[in-house]
Amino acid sequence: MNTIEEKLWNYIDGTCTPVEQEAIARLIEQDEVYRKKYDELLALNLEFAMMDLDEPSMAFTYNVMETIRTENAMQPLKAAVDKRIIKGIAVFFVCTILALLVITFANVHFTGTDNVTLHLPVNIKVPNLSGFFNGPFMKWFLVFDVVLALFITDSWIRRKKTAKEV
Amino acid sequence: MQSKLSDIELIEQTLAGNQSAYADLVKRHQRFVFTLAMRFSKSREDAEEIAQDCFIKAYRALAAYNAQAKFSTWLYTIVYNTAMTFLRKKRIATDSVDDENIYIQVENHESAYDGDNVENKSRSFYLNKAIDQLLPDDAIIITLFYKSEQSLEEIAQTLGIEANTVKVKLFRARQRLKEKLERNLKHEVKELI
Repeated sequence: MNTIEEKLWNYIDGTCTPVEQEAIARLIEQDEVYRKKYDELLALNLEFAMMDLDEPSMAFTYNVMETIRTENAMQPLKAAVDKRIIKGIAVFFVCTILALLVITFANVHFTGTDNVTLHLPVNIKVPNLSGFFNGPFMKWFLVFDVVLALFITDSWIRRKKTAKEV
Repeated sequence: MQSKLSDIELIEQTLAGNQSAYADLVKRHQRFVFTLAMRFSKSREDAEEIAQDCFIKAYRALAAYNAQAKFSTWLYTIVYNTAMTFLRKKRIATDSVDDENIYIQVENHESAYDGDNVENKSRSFYLNKAIDQLLPDDAIIITLFYKSEQSLEEIAQTLGIEANTVKVKLFRARQRLKEKLERNLKHEVKELI
């Protein structure tokens, strides 16, 4: 069962039913105990409503906006670039590849069981690259690749080690 | 100068890329958010950290905000959750705030410092002191009810509980606040005599 205080708080807050509201109003009018308690709670209610809000520092808004600006600036390029641009580039490349495949297959002529000849619509000459892959050029190329692979692996291991230490 | 635009209009402008609109939104709500954070942390530095964290979280999630609930209700939910996480991280036992020893220490400190100027102390000073001595949950409910212009249902939404539970908790919080207030005032009167 509700106490007098509980009933009176509900009455002050206006959270009771109209019937209860009426009954409590009558009790406040007629009953001395109810009236005294009601006056006391009403005064408390007014006092509670006068509580002060705390004020943050002067730089509060600036600090919040600065953090947001820094976060935005640190966003990876992937998140900053509009996704429509990325999709557009992807569509362009897919279309180009598809067009090349269609042209190629349209111009392939099967002349026998083993022979396949390709007649391109324009006269394109494929350069002879066999000379590049023989002799000193190829050797230097392979040495450079090995050195580069060692260098990248070394820096990757160092980074991993540093991250573990931190 | 503070903008006269509504919260929803400011949110729309922020989402369209206008960051100064969000600054206006922060200015509008910062006092209340900071006060709520203070009710939890009891320290200005921690409260500023919590409040800033809340506004940054709200900014990140702004696109997900649907205008079905008031922006303030949504924001206070973020404040409540962030402050709870903060308390858990800091391992502050919420009941320690109500510890009698701390109460006596605070009380004695204030009395010794302000003993001669009791007359000059306003009622609001005692009220704020009493609120500081409440448990965070009680202080939050009292603050939300009296200062946020929110209904019991909206407070329930913010705290993630039933409206009836809010009603019961509010009643108990008011009783505790009344007791603290009376105890503080009684102590000051004794000091005077």
